[in-house]
Amino acid sequence: MEVRKTWSRLRRELDLMTGTQTLLSVFILILFLIAPLFLMVEEAFVYKGEASLKWFFDIVGDAEFVSFESRGGRLFEVHRNIMYIWGLDHGILLNTLLVAVVVTVFCCFIGVSVALIMARYKFRGKEALRILLLVPLLATPFVNAYVIGKLFKPTGGLVNFLFFDVLHLLPWRIDIDGLFGIALAQTLSYYPIVYLNVFATLMNIDPSLEEQAENLGSKGFRLFRSVTLPLSLPGLAAGAIIVFIFSMEDLGAPIGFLGARANPLSRKLVSYQIYSSFAEALAGGISPRTYALAVIMLIISVIGFVAVKQYVSLKSYAMLSRGGRWSPRVRKPPLKYGCVIYLFLISLVFAASMPQIGTVLLATTNWATSGTLPTEFTTKYLNSLATNPDVTRAIINSLMYSGAAIMIMVLVGASIAYVVARRDIPGRSLLDVFATIPVAVPGIALAVGYFLFFSRNFRGTLLDPLTDPVLLLIFAYSVRRLPFTSRAIFAGLQQIDVSLEEASLNIGAKRSTTFLRIVLPMIVSNIVGGGILSFVYSMSEVSTSSTLGALREDRMPITFFISQIVYGVAAVGAVSIGAALCVLLMSIQILAMVISNLILKQRVAFLGV
Amino acid sequence: MVEVALKEVTKRFGEVLAADNITLKVNNGEFFTFLGPSGCGKTTTLRIIAGLEFPDSGKLFFDDDDVTNLPTYKRNTGMVFQNYALWPHMSVFDNVAYGLKIRKISKEEAKERVQKVLNLVNLAGLENRYPTQLSGGQQQRVALARALVIEPKVLLFDEPLSNLDAKLRLRMREEIKDLQKRLKITTIYVTHDQEEAMVISDRIAIQNKGKILQVGTPTEIYNRPQSLFVATFIGGGSLLEGIADKVGEKIQVKINNSAIQGTPSSDEQRIKEGDKVAVVLRPENFVLEKPRSTSNQLRGIVEWTAFVGSRTDVRINMNERRLLIHAPPDIMIPVGKEVTFYISQEDTIILPMEEVS
Ligand SMILES: Nc1ncnc2c1ncn2[C@@H]1O[C@H](COP(=O)(O)OP(=O)(O)OP(=O)(O)O)[C@@H](O)[C@H]1O
Ligand SMILES: [Mg+2]
Repeated sequence: MEVRKTWSRLRRELDLMTGTQTLLSVFILILFLIAPLFLMVEEAFVYKGEASLKWFFDIVGDAEFVSFESRGGRLFEVHRNIMYIWGLDHGILLNTLLVAVVVTVFCCFIGVSVALIMARYKFRGKEALRILLLVPLLATPFVNAYVIGKLFKPTGGLVNFLFFDVLHLLPWRIDIDGLFGIALAQTLSYYPIVYLNVFATLMNIDPSLEEQAENLGSKGFRLFRSVTLPLSLPGLAAGAIIVFIFSMEDLGAPIGFLGARANPLSRKLVSYQIYSSFAEALAGGISPRTYALAVIMLIISVIGFVAVKQYVSLKSYAMLSRGGRWSPRVRKPPLKYGCVIYLFLISLVFAASMPQIGTVLLATTNWATSGTLPTEFTTKYLNSLATNPDVTRAIINSLMYSGAAIMIMVLVGASIAYVVARRDIPGRSLLDVFATIPVAVPGIALAVGYFLFFSRNFRGTLLDPLTDPVLLLIFAYSVRRLPFTSRAIFAGLQQIDVSLEEASLNIGAKRSTTFLRIVLPMIVSNIVGGGILSFVYSMSEVSTSSTLGALREDRMPITFFISQIVYGVAAVGAVSIGAALCVLLMSIQILAMVISNLILKQRVAFLGV
Repeated sequence: MVEVALKEVTKRFGEVLAADNITLKVNNGEFFTFLGPSGCGKTTTLRIIAGLEFPDSGKLFFDDDDVTNLPTYKRNTGMVFQNYALWPHMSVFDNVAYGLKIRKISKEEAKERVQKVLNLVNLAGLENRYPTQLSGGQQQRVALARALVIEPKVLLFDEPLSNLDAKLRLRMREEIKDLQKRLKITTIYVTHDQEEAMVISDRIAIQNKGKILQVGTPTEIYNRPQSLFVATFIGGGSLLEGIADKVGEKIQVKINNSAIQGTPSSDEQRIKEGDKVAVVLRPENFVLEKPRSTSNQLRGIVEWTAFVGSRTDVRINMNERRLLIHAPPDIMIPVGKEVTFYISQEDTIILPMEEVS
């Protein structure tokens, strides 16, 4: 009886359209997310045909990967009037975790401070600062770290020139490089993630909660610690876990620093190790130890992500007690604080936009070769975007891959969002989970999984990365950015009353007609918004682009091409062309933001859990 | 136009029984209303008829066709939603014409039919407006037109007037009634407003906690409620508790030391001697002079009076039991005076006692 009822319900719910949507989504998620990762995990636990932890023991037991004693590097050491801040080498795995922890802590500290200031104070120029604070979100993969590396060169670096040679503010020249340099570059580009998440929660806290506490005599730091901070923890946790994951899987900073300074310490990170193993892949395949490395990363990020998601959904009480007056608490800071706020925000904005400013300078002047400061403007690098056939090809490649990825993302994202929001089929919450989890899957882990799964099972076909990585790149972009599209569409669907669809069904339209004529027109702005966002992210995607994209030269996407240039191995030479490509990426991104803001009247969705 | 029949229809949401073994028949061309308190399952029952919800068990027939498992888009019912559910991205014309487009009806014919139905609901001239540019009443008419234009077998309304202001509500309910009489479409209507239900319906089904308690014409339901729930849900009145004394053609109820005779309301003889019973006395059935029909005579002290225009409400204390009486408007009764009043035995409703929540 129960079985028959479930079956007849399923038959009703799974009409042709829902069935197609579900099957399509499940198929793509299985083939391009679950199966490759699953195979990779499985391989990592197999040695000589038997289940074994050998590869993990290998890693943990090898001082190259885990070493509690320092194996080199310099941290706050002064030699010949130069203070070296490189970080200490504790082995590749520990380095990665340490860098990620340091970056996360820095980002939380800066992000929370900025969010508090922006949410609770009003002052002149706040609107301008609000925009400037987001500059680090503009994608300048590889080149950002290159710029920082260049600025902190002990001799010839602009920072040392300015603060040591000219202003005499520093007792020694400082040399920031290696792991610490990477952490710095990552902090500067990721703090807005924490800031935006915390800001959003702060804006959602019922002001009366804080007022009540103040009324009871709590103020200043005490108020912050006892009420404000606990209430904004969900936003903080969400931002923090994303920063942590991004830092772990980041390839841009290590390669950028290597390009600028060639310090071997910058290689001692898991992401770089996996990246370089793709170079061997062409020759003979990837070692299971690399799988194990990728699996460790995958497990850490997925567990962290799921835990935070759980925590955030438990703690969403901050929004519950709405009622009464609803205007956020903003006030003018007293003069003394005002100065501190300006000083802090302006130096932060300046420091954090260094990479973007530097990128523009590299692209438009001769700064790459002129030494400390640029000496003349030139448009030749920007021109080369159109004239240099290699460069143009990379651009066209990326445009095509991202364009194709958008279609898949919109199709799958809309399908998943619709099924999850509207249909009552078993396992739909699972579908929801798998549509969100790609946020937590490190791109390089996915790349390793793809390589393993498709080169083994689809040898010689178009899905074999060694034959042609294009399809895999497209699907990698689609799957990695799927959460943004499907979330955006889901949000749109939640705005639509179900009765609008029921009215159409009732009048005689089939579900598919209803979807096309009623639902789609109403969520089109969400689709376009989500699509634009995903397009931008796909264009500037680094991890799979620089690994899978490396497998065939004529297929390389922009970001891989930039990495080659920055690394100094591309034939075009000057890093300036890489910078010019970054300028192109930034322009696309700004254009997309303007479109979403002005035309679609929606705030650009940002990275959150 | 069809006859709609529900056979043992049951629908459960977790622990909640939204439709509890409902069996009833809505006649061809009838205006049939589900009336009941909030959450009793009216909407669910209506949605089952529309095919937007499917029963856990039981069957649904349109004439002789079993439509229990037919998806809503194949049922040809026209539903008017509580919030109208007009598509914001379509003009009035497109909203109404949608069902015709789906049915692949030629452009010219569609245009003609839309015009006709818009005239019918007094909306001619507003074809190009968008839903947001319409008043509540106009939106309501568009929703009605959209349901009517496809010439549905059954017209379904889910509290269609609840979003309108009081005046408009009165006007629209007359319009809906008129239209239904003219078009003779089988119509099923859901409301929790008893007056609306009485005015508009041919027959009413009273629903509580998923169960249909009684089906009948407004007069039947009002005058012959078959359960205490129905008696108290429909119409006001005072309630006296007592013990059935003599049961026969009439029932005599002992209340303290006085006795009241009345007619058992339910068809089945459920009351036995010695049972606890409830006596329901409608305020408008009392008179102050002895009527010709056999009647009960009661005495009590006037506690307060209130002139409400068309009548005077009088509250009477009868041995610490309160009765409300509608007296003629021009009457003058001083508070504190003892009065005698009468209610015919025919109008004295006697029902078995039950828990009323
Ligand atoms: N989709 C659903 N899931 C779970 N419970 C539901 C669902 N739809 C209705 N119910 C429950 O079933 C019961 C009947 O609901 P229904 O909407 O039919 O009541 P109603 O009589 O129309 O009430 P109202 O007058 O408030 O509209 C309610 O207790 C309701 O909470
Ligand atoms: Mg209802």
